[in-house]
Amino acid sequence: MTLPEPSEIERKLGEYFEDVWKCIRCGFCNSVCPTSNTSRSYMSSLTSRGRIILLQAYFSDILSKSLKDEEIQDLMQYCFGCRRCIEVCPPGVRIPNLIWRVKQLNDEPRHLRKFILTHYGELLRLFSRFPRLSNLLLHSYLGKILLEVSSGISRKIDFPVFNHSLEEWINKRRKSNGSRGRIAYFIDVFTNYHEVELGKKVVELIEKLGYIVVAPPQREAGTLLLEEGLIEEAYRVAEENIENLYNTVKDGVKILTSSPAAYLALKKDYPELLGDTKSRIVSENTVDIIQLLLNEYEEGTIDFDMSSQDQLVYHLSCFTKASGLTKDVRRILTLAGYRLKELDLCCGIGGIWGMNKKYYDLSLEVGLNLFNELKKINLPVASQSETCRIQIKNNVLLDVRHPFSFIVDRVKINME
Amino acid sequence: MHSYFNKISVKDVEFFERLLGSRNISTSEEELVANSVDAYPGGFYKPEIVVWPESSQQVAEVLRYAYERRIPVYPKGGGTGLTGTVPIYGGILLSLVKMNKIVEVYEEDMQIRVQPGIIYDRLNKELEKYGLFFPPDPSSGSWCTIGGMVASNSSGLKAVKYGTTREYVLGMEVVFSDGKIVRIGSRTFKYSTGLDLLKMMIGSQGTLGVFTEITLRLKNLPEYFKTALSFFPSVQSAVNAVYQIVRRGLDIAAIEFMDEEMMKAVAEYKKIDFPESQAMLLVETHGSKRAVSENMEKCIHVLEENKSIEVRVAEDVEERERFWAARKGAYPATLRLGRYMIISDIVVPLSKLYDAVQKSYELGRKYEVHASVIGHFGDGNLHVHWSAGNNRDKVEDLHKANDELTRWAIDVGGAVSGEHGIGTEKKKFVKQQFREAFDLMLKIKKLVDPKCILSPGIIFDLEEVI
Repeated sequence: MTLPEPSEIERKLGEYFEDVWKCIRCGFCNSVCPTSNTSRSYMSSLTSRGRIILLQAYFSDILSKSLKDEEIQDLMQYCFGCRRCIEVCPPGVRIPNLIWRVKQLNDEPRHLRKFILTHYGELLRLFSRFPRLSNLLLHSYLGKILLEVSSGISRKIDFPVFNHSLEEWINKRRKSNGSRGRIAYFIDVFTNYHEVELGKKVVELIEKLGYIVVAPPQREAGTLLLEEGLIEEAYRVAEENIENLYNTVKDGVKILTSSPAAYLALKKDYPELLGDTKSRIVSENTVDIIQLLLNEYEEGTIDFDMSSQDQLVYHLSCFTKASGLTKDVRRILTLAGYRLKELDLCCGIGGIWGMNKKYYDLSLEVGLNLFNELKKINLPVASQSETCRIQIKNNVLLDVRHPFSFIVDRVKINME
Repeated sequence: MHSYFNKISVKDVEFFERLLGSRNISTSEEELVANSVDAYPGGFYKPEIVVWPESSQQVAEVLRYAYERRIPVYPKGGGTGLTGTVPIYGGILLSLVKMNKIVEVYEEDMQIRVQPGIIYDRLNKELEKYGLFFPPDPSSGSWCTIGGMVASNSSGLKAVKYGTTREYVLGMEVVFSDGKIVRIGSRTFKYSTGLDLLKMMIGSQGTLGVFTEITLRLKNLPEYFKTALSFFPSVQSAVNAVYQIVRRGLDIAAIEFMDEEMMKAVAEYKKIDFPESQAMLLVETHGSKRAVSENMEKCIHVLEENKSIEVRVAEDVEERERFWAARKGAYPATLRLGRYMIISDIVVPLSKLYDAVQKSYELGRKYEVHASVIGHFGDGNLHVHWSAGNNRDKVEDLHKANDELTRWAIDVGGAVSGEHGIGTEKKKFVKQQFREAFDLMLKIKKLVDPKCILSPGIIFDLEEVI
C-alpha cells in the first residue's frame, strides 16, 4: 500500500505535523497560557488547547475552513510564543513551534509589514547610525502614524530611544590585554541599539575579569521572525549567525549573551531550526552573562558585596523560564544581597506581539495581574527580557532593569 | 444528530442571543469544533451552538427552552474529562466556565459555596489564606472545574486518606431538565432526612441536572508531611506492603504503585536512577510533625518487613518534589512511547490487586501491546497504560485488552471506573456491573429527565431512555 502524498500544508508543518497528533487535549497548556487570562478566553477556540483541537479537526476533515483562512489565522495569533506550555505539556507537544508553522501558511498580502519585519535588523542598524534624527522621527506624531500604517506597531507604543550601536563601540574600543582569551558577545538588537549602556557595563566587567570582548559579525537573533511565522526568513538569519559564530567558536572562543531571546535563539531555536552540527556546537559554547558570573563566583574570582540587603521583585519573564535561566538569576540576585519577591506572571507583551495595534489592548489585559501585583508591592523590578521591561515601565512606572544592572555594582573582583 | 431531537434553528439562536447576549453564544465553526472533544481520544462531535450562561436563572431559562423544543443540552466545565463526555447528538453545549465565582466562604464551618466553573487549583490557591483546602487533587487540577469534578466524582493521588469528591459535597443547587431550580443537601456534616438525592447527583456526568452552585466541606492544610520511595524485588511484595499498611490502619495520605516497566519509562524520561527492582511504592503521611514522623516510621517498618530493597525518605521539600515528579512523570513517560495509548481506571478489592497486575501483563502479552501499571493502590485503583507505540494497526487490540481487563475487574467484585467516570467510553460495562440496578438507574434517568435532553448518549444509550 502506498501512503497518500502529504498535502502542501502537511509539508509546510514538516516534522511538527506529528505533534498535532501527540496532543491528548488535557488542557494543561491552557493553565499556563497567558492569553487564557483575558475577558474572551472563556471561548475554547481562543485557548491553547483549542488551537490544537482545530488543527486535529482540520487534518481529520472535520473543519471545513482552510488553515490559511483569516478566521483560523486570527485564532493562531493568540499564541505569541511565550513557550510556557512546553514545560507543562505531558506528551511534549512543541506548541509554539507548531503554531509558527501554521502562521507561516498565512498568505494574506502584507508586503510592507513583511518587508519591515524581515529587514528589522538592517532598519534598526540604519536608525542607530542617526540616533537623534531617528528619535525625533519615531517619537513624533507623524512618525508614529507612519510606523503604525507600515508595520502595524501601535502608535501608543513609545519606541525605545536609539543610540549608536554597542557593536560599533566594542569594535572601535581599544582591546584590553586580557589574559583569559577572547569572548564573543552576541548582542541582539535591543542592547545593541537601545540599552547600549547595559551592554557597555557587561563588556567592562568582563574585561576586568581578564577577557577580551569581541563582537563578531552578527545579525539580529530573529526570534520575532519565528513568532510571526516567517520561518524561511528566520532560517536564513539563523544560518548566517551560526556561520559567523561557528567560525569564532572553532577558535575556542565562547559566545556571550545578555538577552534571553539571544540566548534562547543560540541555545534552542537555531539547533532546532537548522538541525546541524554547527548550530549544536555553537549552542554548547554559549553562555549567558548571569551564568558566566556564577561560574566566576564558583571559581572564586568574584564575590559579592552584601552590605546592603535590599528588597527586589524578580519578574520571571517567559523567555527566562523557557531558557532555563530562572534558577541562575535567582541565585545571583540572592548572592548579591537581594531579598526577592518573585512574580511568575506574564506581562503580555510577547516580544512585539503586544506592540501590534491589533493586540495592544489585549496585551494590557494579559499583563493586568502582573501590573496590579507590582503596584501593590511597589519595589524595583529585575526582569531579564527587554520588551517585558518596556511593558512594565509603561504601565507601572517602576524602576525596572536587567538583573545584571542590579548586581554589577556589587561584584567584587578577587583577581590580582 | 438523532431524529428524536430537533435541530437548532435560526429562531433558537435568536432566542439564546436575546437571553444571554451576543457575547455569550457562538455558532462559529471554530468554536463548535473546539468544543467537540474532551481528553478522551474519541471522535469529534460538534454541538450546534455554544452558550455561556452567567447565572442559575439563565441556566434555567436555557433548559426550559431546550426542554420545550426537545434539543439536547451538554453541560461542560474544563473539558478535561477522560471518558468522552461530548455532544454526540449535537444541540447545545452549555459551558459553565463563566460561572466561576466563590459565592461565600464559611471559614468557621470549614465550608465554601462556589459556582461550578471555578478551576480546582484556583480554588485551592484562594483557600490558602484561610489555611484550608479542598483535597481530592485530580491530576487535571490545573484546568478542571469543580462542577466537572462533582459530575464525575473525580479524585486523585491522595484519596486513600482524603477520599473522593463525593465525601466533600454537602449541598448543591441543581437545575433540572425542565428548568426547575432545586436546592439539595444541607450545610451540615450529617443528616438523616429522607433519600440522599445529593449522592445520586454526584458522578451523574450531566445526565440528571446542571449544578449551578456547590457547597463543599474543606480540610485544614496539613501542617507537615513526609514522603518516601520504596523499591521491591517483586510486585507481590509491594502489594503485600500496601495491604499491611492499610490493614494495620496506618494514617497514610498516599500509597502510589509503579511497576518495573513504568519505572523504566520514567527513569528514561526524567533521567532518574532507580535501583534494580520490580515495583516501587511512593508513600506519604500528613499531619502534625510528631504524628507524621511516627506514622512514617511505622510505615517504613512495614515496607522493610515486606522485603523492600531500599527506602528513600525525602530530606526536604525539593526532594519530596523530585519524588512526586517521578510519580507524576509516569503519564508523560508512557505518552512518549507513541501516540496510541489508552488508560484503564478499574478499581478492585485490595485482595485482588496482585491478580489485577498479573492479568494486565497477561492481556498485554495476549494482544501484543505494551502494558505498564501505576495505581492508587491504597484504594485499589489501577491505571494500566496500554500503549501501541505509533502502530495504528494495534489500536483495536489496545481496546480489546482494556475491555477484557475491565470485564475481569467486574467479575472479581471491582468497578469499571475509580475516578474518571463512564461517559461514552465505558457505557457498555455499566449494565454488566450493575445488572438489575442498571434498570433502576434507567428509571431514575427517565423520571428526572423525561425527554432525555440532558447529556443524551452519556452513561445511558439514548434508545434505552426514550
